[in-house]
This record gives sequence, structure tokens and C-alpha cells, in this order.
Amino acid sequence: MKVLVPVKRVIDYNVKIRVKPDGSGVETQNVKMSMNPFDEISIEEAVRMKEKGVAEEVIAVSMGPQQCQETLRTALAMGADRGIHVKTDDVLEPLAVAKMLKAIAEKEQPQMIIVGKQAIDDDCNQTGQMTAALLGWSQATFASVIELGEGTAKVTREIDGGLETVDIKLPAVVTSDLRLNEPRYASLPNIMKAKKKPIEEMDPASLGVDTTPRVKTLKVSEPPKRQGGVKVESVQELVSKLVNEAKVI
Amino acid sequence: MDLTLSDEQKMIVDMVRRFVREQIVPLEDKLDPDADELPPEDLQRLSKITQDMGLYGLDTPPEYGGPDIDLVTRALISFEMSQHRAGLYAPCYGAFGGARQAQLFEATEEQKEKYLYPMLRGEKKVFFGLSEPSGGSDPARAIQTRAVRDGDEWVINGSKLWISGADRADYGLVFARTDPSKGRGGVTCFIVETNWPGFHVRRVVHTLRSSRYATELQFENLRVPHANILGEEGGGFSIANDRLTRQRIPYAGECVGVAIKAHEMAVEYAKIRETFGAPLASRQGIQWMLVENEIDIRTARWLVLEAASKADNGEPFRTESAFAKLVAAEASFRVVDRSMQIHGALGVAKDLPLERWFREMRIRRIGEGPSEVQKHVIARDILGQSLR
Ligand SMILES: Cc1cc2nc3c(=O)[nH]c(=O)nc-3n(C[C@H](O)[C@H](O)[C@H](O)COP(=O)(O)OP(=O)(O)OC[C@H]3O[C@@H](n4cnc5c(N)ncnc54)[C@H](O)[C@@H]3O)c2cc1C
Repeated sequence: MKVLVPVKRVIDYNVKIRVKPDGSGVETQNVKMSMNPFDEISIEEAVRMKEKGVAEEVIAVSMGPQQCQETLRTALAMGADRGIHVKTDDVLEPLAVAKMLKAIAEKEQPQMIIVGKQAIDDDCNQTGQMTAALLGWSQATFASVIELGEGTAKVTREIDGGLETVDIKLPAVVTSDLRLNEPRYASLPNIMKAKKKPIEEMDPASLGVDTTPRVKTLKVSEPPKRQGGVKVESVQELVSKLVNEAKVI
Repeated sequence: MDLTLSDEQKMIVDMVRRFVREQIVPLEDKLDPDADELPPEDLQRLSKITQDMGLYGLDTPPEYGGPDIDLVTRALISFEMSQHRAGLYAPCYGAFGGARQAQLFEATEEQKEKYLYPMLRGEKKVFFGLSEPSGGSDPARAIQTRAVRDGDEWVINGSKLWISGADRADYGLVFARTDPSKGRGGVTCFIVETNWPGFHVRRVVHTLRSSRYATELQFENLRVPHANILGEEGGGFSIANDRLTRQRIPYAGECVGVAIKAHEMAVEYAKIRETFGAPLASRQGIQWMLVENEIDIRTARWLVLEAASKADNGEPFRTESAFAKLVAAEASFRVVDRSMQIHGALGVAKDLPLERWFREMRIRRIGEGPSEVQKHVIARDILGQSLR
């Protein structure tokens, strides 16, 4: 089977995010960018499926500006077989991404799309669910274990109360959670091999998708500074503060 | 001139940076601030990861199983792998394997079996015995340790000073005078095992490096088989010169790596630390320190990459490597010093890595050829040039 994995280029998790002075967004100039960590987990899972012999091909797809090719190369160096780059400088909202994924899935016919449960830039947590809905496929979100059967998959999901196991029919969209696996480091031989793997370029128009944003950003601002905490001497004092100052009881 | 990194180089840099951040730094946080090694099981686990990365044995030539990377990429890696507390003492605590004594690559097949391969496999520790109480900058003249031939053996008498790790080594290289009538051409390199009779570690010499200590060695009628001469008799100084010049480049790069990290810390701290009602970063006095840091880092980084690139292109790079070593050590020392100043008392506290970097940076202005000796090399080149 084929596995399709979307990979998003985001600000590196180590970078301290700074809001632009005009409040129009966050600073991305001269800022280190990396693959969304949840997408790394998705790639790792797909590559492991391939190593186990249950997947034949892993296709990584990234949507965005020219530099997304770096993100794709990273996916290829981790073991993906080929890349698809939907090149655009437009701002992409989850719905537009889901529509483009649908178009690519219809062409490529993968049995599974593994999507990161969210991207660490906008934390939307929508793309996987929307893609499944548009395709009319089964979905299993927040996966911590994926076991493949004959035309089915058993997915363990992390939910508030604990773990839930669902059986789904393939083709399906699965979104990966943090504990699904620990992604490997790239390796020198694979980095060199990745150089020769193909990346196909396309654009939103050729996929028949209109990317015009439906959401308007009014203003981006820093979260308020956290107030320092206080130490209380006794339970009485704690209760009195909760009643009189915090007014929560 | 193309100054951009290739996609492959970017990925390699990323991979090493992540390794340091995810594997080394969290582990180091639990160690004593002056620790000089990892628990063996951790080192083994990390070495397995670097092997899977295909980067184990960074300084081992590909024909001996090392990774096939050029010197520019090696320099880029060196900028990353020193960015932790013990990073100047032992980048990544040796998890990338070691090939410290480059001269051993020039050994005979028999010597390689016995001494090179065990070192490359990380099974044996090796010291480098050149400096003596009489001086290390100009060893060709200073060496007084004598070796006299006796049949199939040589008998060595004399002493060595500042020799790193000889108390824990299995064997090492000892440079001794075999022909007193000649200067440079009268010094021979011997491979000496530390458990042979006549080999003494007289004392551990404490330095401002709190971790591993330098040692003083004494040889008393130390008998060494003729077969243990490395290279030619009288050719001690002509072994592996090219390899040694190459090694100086990542050595310089490690200094730059620490400077980059120290500067990063200083920038972040200046933004949050407030005095007299405003952040340090708002003061021009501090801003200029940060600018000086940036200038030092960019200059040093560039000189290191230039030397590496010349070597990769097969051009002469001896002078460039001297520039790289000189400027990287001096400039990075200044960066660490300024970054420490910006941190105030915290800068000298063992809670942060700055104080250990400061001490190690001070040593790096003396080790691998002191700054003055690098200038001496550069001056000879300048004065030897003819008109263009
Ligand atoms: C922690 C540590 C570990 C070491 N480990 C080893 C090791 O493992 N093996 C080993 O062989 N050595 C080792 N060394 C020794 C090191 O290589 C020498 O200290 C170095 O080569 C300088 O020699 P020296 O100390 O004898 O100084 P000297 O040669 O006496 O020089 C004294 C000073 O004068 C300067 N100088 C020299 N010539 C000139 C000139 N022409 N013009 C102007 N200034 C000049 C030098 O730069 C230096 O600053 C180690 C040193 C230290 C501190």
C-alpha cells in the first residue's frame, strides 16, 4: 500500500516566537524553520511501515513557498520515497490544505494518510479531520499506536480519560500524537540518497483549489506576561485568597 | 563566490544540532559541572546513534571506515558539536569516536593492527608526548629526551610535561632525540606502551582545567623495540603534517561553536535582565558588546570555513589554517569573556556552562600551537612572499 504524509514547514520549536511590531503576524525573517514535529512522527511511522514490508511507498507532500523543498528533503532523508511540492506563496488555511490533500489522494490512491495532529505554528488541529471528511474516509485522530490488518487498522487513541482503541476501514486518515514513536535522526547515507529522490512540483490551481483565506486576522499580540506566584503559610490563607482575591470559590 | 550551504550540509548540521540538544545537553544537566566523561553505558548508547547517523569516526578517513565528508562539512559539524558545557574539553564526550593521534594513520600495517585500529574502535586510549619542561613551541630545538640504539631496541631517557591523559592511556607517541648533531632531522617518534618498565607517570599537573589533568612523564632506561618507530628514523616531524594541519580546522571550529552559544545566551539574558529600571539590552554599552561578539564570531567562522574550503580544493592551506586557529581561539575567548560579563555573577557560577568554557578557551589559546606560534607561521609566509 501507499502512504501519504503531509509535512509542514514551521518555525523551529527552539525559536522564541516574536510578534511583528505592527501586529500583523509573527516574525519569520531570519528565523530557523524546521519540519513540524508531529509530521516527523508521521514520516517515521510511515517509514517503519515500509521497513516492516506493509507499505510499499511513502510519499511526502508539502505545501508552501520554494523553501518547503528543504522540508521535503528532510522527509526523503528520513526514508520517504518521493516528494510532492505544491508551490505557493499564499497563506494556506486548513480547509485549503485539506482540499489539496484530497485532490492529491484521488490521484495517488494511498491507503492511508498520516497527518500530524496539529502544527506547532497555528495549532489548528483541523487538517486531518477535514481531509477525512472531504474524502469520505474513516478517520482516527491522536494515534499512539497503529496496527495494520487486512484492509483495516486498529488505532489506539489518546483521549482525556485514557486510551481508546478504534477499528477503522482503509483507506483512512490517521493523525499522529506525540507518543506514536520517536523519530530517528537522518543519516549521512540517507541524506546523500535523498538528493537523488524525485520531487514533483505543482500548484494549487492545477489541483483545482482556491486558496483564498476565509478567516481574517485582525491583530496578533503577545500573551500577557505571567504574574509571579505567592507562597501561602496555611490552608486558611489559601482558602481566603481563593475566595477574596482569585474569587474562584 | 558561493557562500550558501548545500541542502545536504544544512541537513547534516541540523542532525548534529538536534543530537547535541536532545541527547547531550539533558544528560549533561545531571552530571557534575566538571565531569570529563559519560557513564560507559550512556557513551555506548550515544555512539550507536552516531553510527546510525553514519557520522561515527568523524576524523577517520573514509578508507578506514570514517564518513565521507569534506572539510567544510566537518567544520560545520564542529560548530555544532561543541555547544554544550564540556564541549571544548571533549565535544559530545567522544560520542562521535576519536582519531586523535593522526600520525598513526602513517604507521606500518603491523603497527596499524596493533595500535591504530584499537584506537579507532575506541578500545584503547592514546597520549601524545611532544612537549617537555624545556618548551613546547619549538620542540625541534627544545627536545632533550634521548633515545640510543641498542641492537634491536632503543633505550629512552628523559621527561615530558603537560601530556594529557597519559595516566589513563594504554600507549602513546613519544618524540625523542636520536641524533643530537641534527635539529629537526634528529627527532624520532616512538610508539610506547604505558606498562613497559621504565615508563613513569611522575605526577598529575593540575591546571585551570578542572577535569582531566596533564601529566609529567619520566623515562628511565625505557626499552622500545626498533619496530615501534613510527615513520622514519629522524623523521618525527615529517609524519602526517597534512593531517595535523587539517585537524587544526575543526579544533578552531569548536571554539567558534562555543562562542556562538555563549553569545546566544548573552543576547537572551540582556533582553530579560533589568537594572536601573530598564533591560540591559537597552544600554548602548551592552549593545556594543553584543556587536563586538557578532563581529568576532563572523570573522572567526569565516576564516575557519575559508581554510577548510582551500583544503577541499587542494590548494595550500597551511597559512589559512594558522589564521583559523589563531583568530578562532582569540576571538571566541573574547566572546565568552563578554558574555560572562553580561551575566554578572551568574556568568562565573557553575550553574551555567560559561565559566567552564572560559577556562577551556583560555587553554585553547595555548594548545595546538599557541597564538604566537600561529603568528610566527603567518609572518614567515608574509615575509617569504615575492612581489605580485
Ligand atoms: C592543558 C594542557 C594540555 C596539554 N597537552 C599536551 C599533550 O597532550 N601533549 C603535548 O605534547 N603537549 C601538551 N601541552 C603542551 C602545549 O602544547 C604547550 O604548552 C605549548 O606548545 C607551548 O609550549 P610551552 O608551554 O613550553 O611554552 P613555550 O614554548 O615556553 O612558550 C612560552 C610562550 O612564549 C610564546 N612564544 C614562543 N615562541 C615565540 C616567539 N618566537 N615569539 C613570541 N612569542 C613566542 C608562546 O606562544 C608562549 O605563549 C598541553 C598544555 C596544556 C596547558
